[in-house]
Amino acid sequence: MAVATDVAAREIVASRVFDAPRELVWKAWSDPKHIVQWWGPKGFTTTMQEMDFRPGGVWRFIMHGPDGTDYQNKSIYREIVKPERIAFSHVSGPLFEATVTFTAEGEKTRVDVRMVFESAELREKVAKDFGAVEGLHQNLDRLEQHLAKM
Amino acid sequence: MVNDRLTTTLAALADPTRRAILARLCTGETTVTELSKPFDMSLPAISKHLKVLEHAGLIARGREAQWRPCRLEASPLKEVAEWVEHYRRFWEDTFDRLDEYLTQLKSKERKHGRRHRRRRT
Repeated sequence: MAVATDVAAREIVASRVFDAPRELVWKAWSDPKHIVQWWGPKGFTTTMQEMDFRPGGVWRFIMHGPDGTDYQNKSIYREIVKPERIAFSHVSGPLFEATVTFTAEGEKTRVDVRMVFESAELREKVAKDFGAVEGLHQNLDRLEQHLAKM
Repeated sequence: MVNDRLTTTLAALADPTRRAILARLCTGETTVTELSKPFDMSLPAISKHLKVLEHAGLIARGREAQWRPCRLEASPLKEVAEWVEHYRRFWEDTFDRLDEYLTQLKSKERKHGRRHRRRRT
């Protein structure tokens, strides 16, 4: 597991190589039935509300924390290139754009998640594309509480 | 609002001169004149950078008009570190679970595959 940060670019990159073929890793990311089985940290569960897996499609889910706190997530899929790449904009705050890249390495698969965080440009784009940024303040408060507990 | 603060902090950190100023201030508080020495920049240019850093809460400046010594303020940097740590932990944990889940999926597919082959023969 490697996590790199480029603070200047507001970017966090997480990478890992999984001992599974790329088609299988793609399946785990693209099917709601699979994704709820592993998404989120240990002790969290996920309720999938909507997963319209195509460009422009809405992806909504609630993460239930072990302490009973619910975290509402809403994203819009930007790009889906089977089995190479999934890009989405997280629009429910904290705002970020994520690109998940799947690279076959023999029988293994390397997954790179690149998150580019909130900037004035992104905020504008999200506001323009999706209207008001839903629940942003509420979610940021939750993030703040969460960070305070860490 | 944690993220608005974070955005301001990250914007302030985006400039290499400002990061160099912060690095210099790690060794202790100093005056603007002292700070400007390693940079090929005018005092007003340095002052502009200091204003950005001060606005972001990354530095504090003394009240004495003549000296106005600058010193590092650690709390916004701590916020940046927490932000990174939050996502580092999120992905580390999530990848652990994905790893376990893929192992399960693989063994299921293998069993499934064997059944198929048996049926065919």
